[in-house]
Amino acid sequence: MGSGNNPIYTGVPEKDVFALHFLQTLSNLRTQIPFSSPDKTKDRVKKIKKAAYVSMARAAGGTNRLWSRSLLHQAAKRNNKNVRLSRRRKRVTWPRRNRRDPVEEPAAERLRNLVPGGGAMETSKLMEETAHYIKCLSMQVKVMQCLVDGLSPK
Amino acid sequence: MDLTGLKWLQQQQQMVSPEFLHILGSDGREELRRVESYLGNNIYDTIDGCISRTSSFQMEPVKNNEDNRVIALRNKRKPEGKTEKREKKKKIKAEDETESSMKGNSNMSNTETSSEFLKQDYIHVRARRGEATDRHSLAERARREKISKKMKCLQDIVPGCNKVTGKAGMLDEIINYVQSLQQQVEFLSMKLSFLNPQLEFHINELSSMMADPRYFPLHQQGSLDYSVINSNQTTSLNALKMETSSSWDVHSQCLCNNLRTDSVSSFFSLK
Repeated sequence: MGSGNNPIYTGVPEKDVFALHFLQTLSNLRTQIPFSSPDKTKDRVKKIKKAAYVSMARAAGGTNRLWSRSLLHQAAKRNNKNVRLSRRRKRVTWPRRNRRDPVEEPAAERLRNLVPGGGAMETSKLMEETAHYIKCLSMQVKVMQCLVDGLSPK
Repeated sequence: MDLTGLKWLQQQQQMVSPEFLHILGSDGREELRRVESYLGNNIYDTIDGCISRTSSFQMEPVKNNEDNRVIALRNKRKPEGKTEKREKKKKIKAEDETESSMKGNSNMSNTETSSEFLKQDYIHVRARRGEATDRHSLAERARREKISKKMKCLQDIVPGCNKVTGKAGMLDEIINYVQSLQQQVEFLSMKLSFLNPQLEFHINELSSMMADPRYFPLHQQGSLDYSVINSNQTTSLNALKMETSSSWDVHSQCLCNNLRTDSVSSFFSLK
């Protein structure tokens, strides 16, 4: 009943999936940090943030969505151990010279910078990916909010 | 009496205004002659005068091209002022329209080429009246419509987009929303790192917490927001709870096996 609203397919899995993935990634974090906990706050925050994004990408589409693929790729580049990519070598984005939008549209450039993998998409595809990305982001924010509320001292 | 009537009508037929003939063009003149002969057969139908600017044709025997032309002529009559204005105002890119000076001709070529394109192209776009009928501009127009359709979908998702109209404003809203969401993620991760300075996440405890009714009202809210996506969230919630907690147990077991550090027992201790 609700899915007829959007002609584009932007289905997003339920909150539990996101929560599961996030917790899993966080516990993986714990295993990777050496036993002497790092004191700097920035590193910790960065790690958590990256864990959040990676878990979101995995939960939302895995490698089916372009933005999630490029997110995982970016994460894998910086830190080889953290992310397990799928076995099948799926192409993340087509080479830039092919997909550089044949019709230059300067309006959507800022959006391209925000959405991961946006530089190699056409404008219509960009809109689809943005919709899906927004839904997943808001889901992830809710999960994290719940976690923070649960862990914070009453 | 019949004879006098006929003579009068014949005289009327001769007095077609020269302007009108010029507008019709060479093809039109032929048509006009044909019409005249046809009308001449039915005297009793045309008493007001055969061909004047205000009367409309009544032609039964029509073939395809004649039909177009009749329609063109008929159409030409009623909004005559309008077509003039349209063709002057809009910057016409198509060669058809700029070349033809005769208005009747341009109308006919418009309808013909657009019907041609309807058959050949894969994307069916109807060329509106007075607009260019190039292949390129049609494709561009289709692309633009696709993009605007998707932006409308985005408008439904992003809250507060209803007030602003126009592509640029909506794009700004969307960009702001995405930025705010990303900032929220960063902020929450900072909070999380402060709450958990050692980054210890007790999974069992958290799993039980997640399944709690504390989490519940947000679930409900989630179902309200995302009723677009998840139709069966409320019905299968209990089943999911059982499933997820069991899967988390399984996961914690795996982690227990993988860990080699000393803090295994403390890591998985339930408070």
